[in-house]
Amino acid sequence: MSSSLSDRGVIREYLLGRLDEQQELESKLSEGILFSDELSEMVESIEDEIIEEYLDGALDSADRKATDEYFLRPLERKNKLQFARLLREHFETNRNDVVVPPLDILPVTGSGASQYGIGVASAAGWGHHLRTYGQFAALILLFMLGVTYISGIRKRQAQLEGELVQERERSASLAREASLLQPPIIALTLVSDRSRGPGAPPHIEIKPSIQRIVVEIALPRGATGTYDVRLEANGKKAALWSATLSPLVSASGDARLMFDVPTRGIESGVYSFVVSSSQQAQRYKYYDFEALAAK
Amino acid sequence: MAVLLWAAMAAPGGKRAITAEAFGRFLRWLSEDDELAVREYQSIRTKLVSYFIRKGCAHPDELFDETVDVVVGKIEVCAEYPPLNYCYGVAKNVWRQDVRQRKPISLDGDVVSPEHPDTGVHEHELKCLEHCMGQLALSDRDVIARYYQGEGRDKIETRKLLADGVGGVNALRIRMCRIRKDLRVCLADCIKRSAN
Repeated sequence: MSSSLSDRGVIREYLLGRLDEQQELESKLSEGILFSDELSEMVESIEDEIIEEYLDGALDSADRKATDEYFLRPLERKNKLQFARLLREHFETNRNDVVVPPLDILPVTGSGASQYGIGVASAAGWGHHLRTYGQFAALILLFMLGVTYISGIRKRQAQLEGELVQERERSASLAREASLLQPPIIALTLVSDRSRGPGAPPHIEIKPSIQRIVVEIALPRGATGTYDVRLEANGKKAALWSATLSPLVSASGDARLMFDVPTRGIESGVYSFVVSSSQQAQRYKYYDFEALAAK
Repeated sequence: MAVLLWAAMAAPGGKRAITAEAFGRFLRWLSEDDELAVREYQSIRTKLVSYFIRKGCAHPDELFDETVDVVVGKIEVCAEYPPLNYCYGVAKNVWRQDVRQRKPISLDGDVVSPEHPDTGVHEHELKCLEHCMGQLALSDRDVIARYYQGEGRDKIETRKLLADGVGGVNALRIRMCRIRKDLRVCLADCIKRSAN
């Protein structure tokens, strides 16, 4: 900002309409005010100054004439003047209630309350003090309520955590009991033997709690006599289990073998029940199934 | 928002010849974005109205409207110029025209100590001011109280001490200017709310 533009005397002349004949300077100042917030603020402060001096009666005759005929033409400036008068009246009314401290008391700082600020009490000031103390007390109360509330929440949280641990333990116990209550058998129904063609063999999942497999093997209609049944792992000849069984025949003539085998020794893999009729010992039928031993 | 702005400008009783379409072109020149355009318009309005006030014009709002009318009429020409610069250039011409037509006026009554037509209104204004003083920051309230403290020589001494505390005479002037502005805005708002 050039020095002439920021000269308070020049700005004062501008505001009183005395630079209108000096077009270049007037133009520079007008543009400067338009584009510079800093200069604009300085101009406003000088406007206030002119108004204060006008009310004080401190303007010389030329300045007063310029203020009357030029400066105070706009309504906005008249309003500013009215406001300045109102402000003076406010402080004059409260002057008797003002406690005037010695002039050597701490100067005002840029922020925060000063002792002087509290010392300059007016009737409105006492009300302000009460309000301040009340606000402070309310703040302390709010703080204590907050601490109490948070403490309550923490206690409740701890209680809930304890309950959660108990609940988990109970659930685990129930799960163990439930596993014990489950029957330790699994059913396996075998309808067709290997000769019927390729296909996925039926599979069963053998959980640790399963101790026996109840097997049902469908036989041809009208089957009679005894049957030799042995359990083999796929590709191994050694029998895991064997028995000689009589079929169960229904009223309609359907025959089936029903028996149960222990799961001990049965791991994940393909197994076969090898069935042969005692009457036709060399004719074997292989009933395959897949076991999945669950951990 | 732009439509509302134009409607406010073209209020009944006004002498505006500006059409909505023309005003729309004016706003587009200010910015492609509606919201930014309106903000720019309001900024230009504030600055040019302040300009007309500083130039001692009795009717700054009307002169601003006249400026916009002229600019809108030349929108094709001014498209390449920064809006505020161009509007200011037109505003200067509008001001010169106003000066040529200006008649000397005298202030109504005694402005220094006028009699308030309605003491009730005056009392209300003082109450509002009391309220607004309470809304100031403590430090600002302190400054203004000390600024108006005392009379004659005491007042001068107090202000000197005050100025030393806030960083100098100019700093005190600027600070007081801001405080008065805050109070004026608050006072106007308080009075308006009471009227409603």
